[in-house]
Amino acid sequence: MSSVLEQIEQQIAKLSSKGVKKNTGMIRTVADGVAKIEGLSEVMYNEMVQFPGGAIGIALNLEEDEVGCVILGDISKLKEGDEVQTTGRLLSVPVGKALLGRTVDALGNPVDGKGPVAAKEFFPVEKIAPGIIVRKSVSQPLFTGIMAIDSMIPIGRGQRELIIGDRGTGKTTIAIDTIINQAKINKVGLASGDPKFRPVYSIYVAVGQKNSNIVRTLAALEAAGALEYTIIVAAPAADNPANQYLAPYSGAAMGEWFMENGMDALIVYDDLSKHAVAYRQISLILKRPSGREAYPGDVFYLHSRLLERSARLDGKGSLTALPIIETLAGDVSAYIPTNVISITDGQIFLETDLFNQGIRPAVSVGLSVSRVGSAAQIKATKQVGGKLKGELAQFRELAAFAQFGSDLDAKTKAQLDRGSRIVELFKQPAFNPLPIELQVSVLFAMQRGFFDPVDVKKVVAAATSLKDFFTTRKDALLTEIRTKAALDKDLEAKLQAACEEWKPTFAA
Amino acid sequence: MASARKQVQQLARQLFRLSVVDGEVSAERVAGVLAYVEKNRPAHPVAVLRSYQRLIAAEIARCRAVVDHAGPLAAGVLEAISAAMTRRYGRRITGSARRNDSLIAGVRVRVGDDVYESSVAGQLEQLARSV
Repeated sequence: MSSVLEQIEQQIAKLSSKGVKKNTGMIRTVADGVAKIEGLSEVMYNEMVQFPGGAIGIALNLEEDEVGCVILGDISKLKEGDEVQTTGRLLSVPVGKALLGRTVDALGNPVDGKGPVAAKEFFPVEKIAPGIIVRKSVSQPLFTGIMAIDSMIPIGRGQRELIIGDRGTGKTTIAIDTIINQAKINKVGLASGDPKFRPVYSIYVAVGQKNSNIVRTLAALEAAGALEYTIIVAAPAADNPANQYLAPYSGAAMGEWFMENGMDALIVYDDLSKHAVAYRQISLILKRPSGREAYPGDVFYLHSRLLERSARLDGKGSLTALPIIETLAGDVSAYIPTNVISITDGQIFLETDLFNQGIRPAVSVGLSVSRVGSAAQIKATKQVGGKLKGELAQFRELAAFAQFGSDLDAKTKAQLDRGSRIVELFKQPAFNPLPIELQVSVLFAMQRGFFDPVDVKKVVAAATSLKDFFTTRKDALLTEIRTKAALDKDLEAKLQAACEEWKPTFAA
Repeated sequence: MASARKQVQQLARQLFRLSVVDGEVSAERVAGVLAYVEKNRPAHPVAVLRSYQRLIAAEIARCRAVVDHAGPLAAGVLEAISAAMTRRYGRRITGSARRNDSLIAGVRVRVGDDVYESSVAGQLEQLARSV
């Protein structure tokens, strides 16, 4: 009986108004999105701090008699002498499937006008990356839908592959293509009812981008029907640097939720050069010592701790990262590019010259690499595209020498012809990713010499015709390639027959 | 510029340490420090004294419980709060009452950076934030 009375007593105690303890401080200065605060003696590193008017901040500099905070939100109403209080919480963002199809800011607040996000869970923005024991090596492919990448620089689930190049070389396009391709694969896979099928959810983090660019990306994803599998985290150029600094970590937290819950996710950081610039701005205002190019000493850690959070976990899911870095005049040896190159598992290097020559995507085969290699490729792609990278590299070398002489032996001429056809074959329009089975079919036709009689200038048209032929008339064969993921003798014979059937339909 | 500011803060902290006896600010020591600064004027004396003043004010606030209250405060409440805070912080804390009608009802106790909110205004504010 006494326990019942105790329970009632406890309930009464819960309901009675109790004093709440707060640790407070006072704003000493506010400038450029950073506040110096006196007091806050119990604040923790990276703790959320409540400012008047609803703005929140993050304690980044804990000094002997003041605390440096970056402010997220409207700073126009803050003034010297305002009271600030600790919250006892680390910055967290909403996570889960409720965010799919939504555009949110760095704090997970919706900015798309579609109402509140119905997320039930929250994940901390800063989290220690998974350790060695829980990780598994990358072995499952993540198809980008871009033939040049899937056949020569394959990406696996849980990999970090850098997309690097000058401005306007199609870096974002590759990332968007990959997101669209995941949505296409998801739709086919989920419709097939295969219980082993693992969809890939995408997160696109826009850091320091123009709002117009974000809208364009959003429209492209929506038009391709990919938005329902995608979360967009937007920290545009107009946002304060604190939001731009936090956005990639918020996106990573959202991706981690999928990974922790046995699902696969893809995250695109567009781009980390601007992220580093935002962090440099914050660091300089916080008066942290600056190093090379005025970046603070921990700028490597800034990106390493972010990219290390992408992994393939044993018994759980994976988080694949596609960070983007913008170079100046193709200089990959600059500070931030070299940092990120050393952290990632390979890079896709895009060249301005190739782009201007009309070779799009402008992937430089020589400088691009995937450290995971063919472990992340299906057998069918290895069978038809295993030697492509070497052939293309040979072509580039020979093409350079061929400029100096007119007399070429038959073998060299054949290699040059083949190389120029491969280059043409890899040309692909934006936002039009190719399913892997179609890529295999096209590469098979190329390996078996079906494009050899076609004039180089007409290779693109021939490839389009072949793709149309396969999609409209050989759907069963494509499905067989997709499900088997390897070319046995029977499949090879069927492909050969299909190509023979196509050949007369295209007039070279 | 940055090193000058650092020097100012270092000197202010040194002077502050000299002003504290047994965890409490000593009025005698403060007078002594001020006399010393007057006699041996350091570089940037105003900045040093401002910084010193801030440190002393923060230390005094740590040893004082400012009780804001709406309406009359019952006899003995201030003493009870001071005693409770002394026990909690493990240092002698003196109480001072201050009438603040904006609290509507209840009390708010401030000891240094810590605020113990038990007022209606505080609860309403919390409610507004959580909605």
